[in-house]
Amino acid sequence: MKDFAVFWGCTIQTRFPFIEKSTRMVMEEFKLPYRDLDGFTCCPEKSLVNNIDHALFTVTAARNVSVAEEAGCDIVSPCTGCVSNLATVASELRHNPRERAEVNALLKEVERTFRGSARLSHLVPFFHDTVGILRIRQRIKADFSGMRLAVHYGCHMIRPSHALKNDDPLNPRKFDNLLRSLGAESMDFPTKMLCCGQGLDRVDQHENALQLARVKLKELKNLGADALVLCCPSCFLQFDNNQFLMEKEGEKLGVPVIYLTELLGLALGFAAEELGLGHHRVDCSPFLRKWEGLRQRPERPEGIEAGLNSPGVLG
Amino acid sequence: MIEARLDMKLLEMCSKCGACFSICPACQYLPGYDPRAVIADILKGEWEKWIPSKSIWQCLECHHCLETCFQHYGFENAMTALRTVAAKRGAHPVQVKRGWDMFVKTSRLGEPALPARKKLDLPPPKDAGAAEFKKLHALIKTAREEKAKRGGGR
Repeated sequence: MKDFAVFWGCTIQTRFPFIEKSTRMVMEEFKLPYRDLDGFTCCPEKSLVNNIDHALFTVTAARNVSVAEEAGCDIVSPCTGCVSNLATVASELRHNPRERAEVNALLKEVERTFRGSARLSHLVPFFHDTVGILRIRQRIKADFSGMRLAVHYGCHMIRPSHALKNDDPLNPRKFDNLLRSLGAESMDFPTKMLCCGQGLDRVDQHENALQLARVKLKELKNLGADALVLCCPSCFLQFDNNQFLMEKEGEKLGVPVIYLTELLGLALGFAAEELGLGHHRVDCSPFLRKWEGLRQRPERPEGIEAGLNSPGVLG
Repeated sequence: MIEARLDMKLLEMCSKCGACFSICPACQYLPGYDPRAVIADILKGEWEKWIPSKSIWQCLECHHCLETCFQHYGFENAMTALRTVAAKRGAHPVQVKRGWDMFVKTSRLGEPALPARKKLDLPPPKDAGAAEFKKLHALIKTAREEKAKRGGGR
């Protein structure tokens, strides 16, 4: 496996350092060759920077990619927005030699070059494709069979597909497969592909942001989902933080929100406390309690486990 | 101004299709949001009235329309063009202004939470490349000014 730099992004490091913690714990447990590099700026955030200054958006993203390329690394990020923005610019520059020359003329002034050789992946497709379902199955110490989990992809994990090329943009599968590999049921539900709506909070439209959060959370409450699983700090902000704000106003929906790295961490045998689940605003204990209860059941016969672990079933 | 940024031929086709309307999350859940009206006005040359509007900031940039669009164009491009004009005139939302200021000043959208990192036993954050970023930003500004002096482009 090629070395990769982790692109943490601003939101995780500013607001959710516990997500960085669980990501590091999981990557170390899988002995992945990850590195922390000096020099990454904001990716930059598309809705903010691209709407104001397209040139600065392009040059900043190209520079970030070049930082990893010079270190001989690919980039993996636990943030969907970061990957999507970097990949959008990288794809534009790979296909537009003139723009690429312009960008590289500027980057030369800071002694950098955009080559376009680094692979840019989000954590979900990275675990699905590069680490692999089989390796995950071999490593986990406990699984989630009996748990009904709702997956939220996060728009920018899969779109724009011409730049990311990692899953079907309208009917993706990889996140569901990861959940299934942990033994959980990945629920199908009408609002599964609905955008979280956090973008509205960034343009002074908080009530509208809550309105969108409410649609999905209400549905999941009615369907009895044990948790909403996601892998994007912006979606996390929307469903954990904003759900908590609604709770404070008397609208209790009670849907625990779990980051993928926390779910993997639990399956690898780490304690919920170590993984930082106590830092969530919405209480995760109903989810943990149900899981604990299910784990008290007798073990399944060996033959079934052996069948599940053999290659070719899911991988 | 806006015509230069948008491909009017594609937008003309777009106005006759609307395949992405039923898949757009903002169209489904935000009453009054309808990019088809905005696009019709752009084609009529009456886009000015949308610049102060809240509507143009309601596009979630989820790229759903882009993926559904047979031209790979979508509502999103029209919204981005109008947002850019609004931002140039200072008519963008306060939070966008705040975020932009933070970004150009520090190269990031927020500083890493140091006390929390220490508590969680996380390594110190890496350098955020602010010096190089500021140099590049200054170079882009200078290039733009020179271009304007020569009378070419925006």
